[in-house]
Amino acid sequence: MIQFSNITVNYSYVPGAVKDINLKLRKGDFTLLLGPTGSGKSTLLRLIYMDILPSEGIVTIDKWSSYRITPRQINLLRRNVGVVFQDFKLIENMSVYENVAMPLIIEGYRRRYIKRLVHILLDEINMLQSANQRASTLSLGEKQRVAIARAMAKNPFVIIADEPTGNLDREASQNVLSLLERIHQNGTSVIMATHDYELIKDTPYRRIYIENGQVLPPARTIATPKTRINLLTQTE
Amino acid sequence: MKLLFVIRQTLNNLWRERTPVVATILTISIALTIMIALFEVSWVLYNELHDLKSNMVIEVYLDSQISGTRARDIQEELNNYNTIDRIRYVSKETAAEIFLQEFGENINDILDENPLPISFEIRLLPAFNHSDYLSLFKKQVENIPGVDEVHYRHVLIEKLETLTEAVAVAGIFVLIILLFAMNLLVRNTIKLSVYAKRRQIAIMNILGAGNLLIRLPFILEGAIEGLIGGIFSATGLIIIHKFIESSFALVSFSSTMYKMLWVYTITLGILIGLLTSAEAVGRFVNKIFSKK
Repeated sequence: MIQFSNITVNYSYVPGAVKDINLKLRKGDFTLLLGPTGSGKSTLLRLIYMDILPSEGIVTIDKWSSYRITPRQINLLRRNVGVVFQDFKLIENMSVYENVAMPLIIEGYRRRYIKRLVHILLDEINMLQSANQRASTLSLGEKQRVAIARAMAKNPFVIIADEPTGNLDREASQNVLSLLERIHQNGTSVIMATHDYELIKDTPYRRIYIENGQVLPPARTIATPKTRINLLTQTE
Repeated sequence: MKLLFVIRQTLNNLWRERTPVVATILTISIALTIMIALFEVSWVLYNELHDLKSNMVIEVYLDSQISGTRARDIQEELNNYNTIDRIRYVSKETAAEIFLQEFGENINDILDENPLPISFEIRLLPAFNHSDYLSLFKKQVENIPGVDEVHYRHVLIEKLETLTEAVAVAGIFVLIILLFAMNLLVRNTIKLSVYAKRRQIAIMNILGAGNLLIRLPFILEGAIEGLIGGIFSATGLIIIHKFIESSFALVSFSSTMYKMLWVYTITLGILIGLLTSAEAVGRFVNKIFSKK
């Protein structure tokens, strides 16, 4: 469903941000991308919603290929992919309701449908009572829950979460992970980049380790995951 | 829902950047008023010149001792000019009658004879009523044997032509400066709005919003500034016209003229706002996308 074939990304300021990556992510999986800051996790995620295109190789997302995608098709792809960021990327001067409704407005849904769906989503994240509150007044944990609700609004086939717990305390991080797990249980694929090993240590999900822009061989990493992650966190 | 969103965003942009918005509206209205006033002055001058030229008569005076046969030969020769619309033969007697009508006295009583020469009154085709051709025509006709003098109001024609040309050149010069000023201000306001919303634009882009949905609120913002500027300008121009009408008894403007003033000024304002903001928003939004 998501396939990286010989992917290399060169930024003008970082050549080889990711190097010759081959990866297949299956439909319905919960995948964890692990690695230190600057290892290339975010670059891989940006490739999925085509915020950047590969310098070499081809990314295939569902029916879209980076090889021959047009700007209009990129917009369509993004409407089918939910993205959650470490810094939430909420529109601060808009209400919680408006933020969650934004993808539906973009798609041109009717007002009544948007209202009903946003209420369901806000109820799901226990924030129905904050619907009219400005996003700027929310706590960090609440902001991330709103960001996840927004990502879910279009019922995407995949949720990409780039360090979603990076700014959150332990309890809020756990809430966010539980929310993503619930979404996954309902059949949506989730790809989450993190370096919070404590948070994910007991989860049964597939782990992909990235370091210096390259995917590490499973045998090496799985053998000593805890040590490696601890090492990585110390390096930061 | 998209339309509602666009309208809300447009109004939000206008309110958020209200100081530059007011400055832009004022500039548009002042510039439009000056532009249209200049256009009207040029138009009036052009029409005056056109009327004067259309009614202009070239008088060809023949030698006083010329015979009737020679006068007819000269008329035949003049008929060969395909630039001439009409020729009227003015005999010595007709000239005396015209003198009587204009001065109230009989020339024969004053001088005991009629010294007025035979002449032709010539009207050229409209396309040839300009000073260059007129002076060439005068030279050619004066070279015909038996022609004493060719006369037309060349000083007035040349002055009016120079004046119209000067007004047109000054008008174009002022127009360029005003368009530049309007463009600069509308662009600046749009730039402020776009930068104030750069985060929102980037987020909407990630969420898959198309170009039109992102850009339309800013384009409409420019159009609304143009519309309000146009309404102010039209109001100002109508006040000026009413004042001129009340000050000069001979001047009057029709109701159609007032209606046209409304329609053209407001349309021009909207067009200026729309085109400038569309160009500006494309440039600034692309900058945000490339920096993301």
